[in-house]
Amino acid sequence: MSRPIRTLTAAAALLLAGCANTGHPPNPQDPYESYNRTMFSINDGLDRTVIKPAAQGYRFITPQPIRTGISNFFDNFRDIYSAANNLLRGHAEDTLNDIMRVALNSTFGLGGLLDIADPAGLKNNKTSLGDTFASWGWKNSNYLVMPFFGPSTVRDGTGLTVMLAVKGPEHLVYHDVKGGPYIFWGMYGLSTRERMLDVTNAVDEAAVDRYSYIRDGYMQLRAQQVGAPLPKPSDNGLNDMDIDELVAPTGAGNASAPAGEVAKPAAPAVKQPAASAPAAEPAPAH
Amino acid sequence: MMKRLLSSFCALMLLVSSSAFAASDSPVETIRDGARQVLDLLKQDNGKNTRQVRQQVEALAVPQFDFQRMTALAVGRGWRQATPEQQQQLSQEFQTLLVRIYTSTMTRYKGTQVDVKPNPILANNGREATVKSEVTLPNSSDKKPVSIDYTLYKTAQGWKIYNVSVEGASLVTVYRNQFNDEINKSGVDGLIKMLKDKNAAVTAKGNA
Repeated sequence: MSRPIRTLTAAAALLLAGCANTGHPPNPQDPYESYNRTMFSINDGLDRTVIKPAAQGYRFITPQPIRTGISNFFDNFRDIYSAANNLLRGHAEDTLNDIMRVALNSTFGLGGLLDIADPAGLKNNKTSLGDTFASWGWKNSNYLVMPFFGPSTVRDGTGLTVMLAVKGPEHLVYHDVKGGPYIFWGMYGLSTRERMLDVTNAVDEAAVDRYSYIRDGYMQLRAQQVGAPLPKPSDNGLNDMDIDELVAPTGAGNASAPAGEVAKPAAPAVKQPAASAPAAEPAPAH
Repeated sequence: MMKRLLSSFCALMLLVSSSAFAASDSPVETIRDGARQVLDLLKQDNGKNTRQVRQQVEALAVPQFDFQRMTALAVGRGWRQATPEQQQQLSQEFQTLLVRIYTSTMTRYKGTQVDVKPNPILANNGREATVKSEVTLPNSSDKKPVSIDYTLYKTAQGWKIYNVSVEGASLVTVYRNQFNDEINKSGVDGLIKMLKDKNAAVTAKGNA
């Protein structure tokens, strides 16, 4: 694909080499953490100063129906890639589904501006090359922050890089327009970022350490999508089933408490078992 | 005057009904009633009474959760290192953080449609249940519904939520690594301080 992307990838490779053994203590869940954190803060700086304000401006000046149309237009191209990936995975039904989506949206959907496939019952099941790799058996992959694109894994990042290197169908749209690729990918980026604004605002509000919040959320999400076991947290265990060992089920003694105040009376009931728990179990290793 | 009287009466009714459903003995009903009442409440937001509506949403939602259990799940093994007082403080700060996230997410997505699935996944001899729901966001170009799962457990006061997952990612255990890093670095008190600072920062930003 285009030159800027190739330059970015090369820069990432250099950074990866440069930061491989500095900073943070190694975390088995995130072996590239020091590179990742560096790339995260570069992306973040770019986002704060340029990309996010641009996306907010775009949201401010365009009405929702136009933004939806633009986002549908790009989505239509993603359906083409999705069809190719479902074919590679050998999912015949999904491939057909995606082809029908593209056919319907490109014609009656006015070149992809309207998504009429969705109401027609053709499900939106975007499949990326990363998903294809996963269904071929590459289930577990380490977290990797891609330059510009952000959260990814080695597997998904490889898929993304391959996809960007392929001269895809979007080439037909912009090949005889001056600066076409820049307009196309710039607009795609803007539209994508605008759709993410609410999510990133929520993350800003929720996260204590944004890097690890985004990483852990993304890794859980991806594991779920590709059908891999959920990543183990760094304290090495504690399934949801063990929660009773940490906090005894509350309420045995306060059945008469008014329901509206449950949050508070719950506390004293927990004290005893929590205090006696360490005696029953060996102290956690560090 | 009449209007004010009427609205305070409505608020009272809501409180009464909220304590009624808090004691509900079916996890699906707990989630379904709770979602319906919160969404109804959000519809009353007319731009001028946002703060008031947020407070009512909070009052309605808080009794449905067990924040102590949520905090323990978020902290993981480090929970045992904490004294009862520290546990209390951790829960308090984490509750403040989560409640704020909950109400601002709900206000942001008012007009959302929630479809609570009838068949929960039971575990632990029926004392735990995971209720699945699909949420369709308004004004979104993504028409694909978002799946949100609630994990509840049975208490004497009815079913209480202690875990929430969005598309399979838990909004509670996502904190585990962050919290552990902080406990390893500066102890349980360090984590309490970090949460306090975070809450203070968000409050300052919210009021600005």
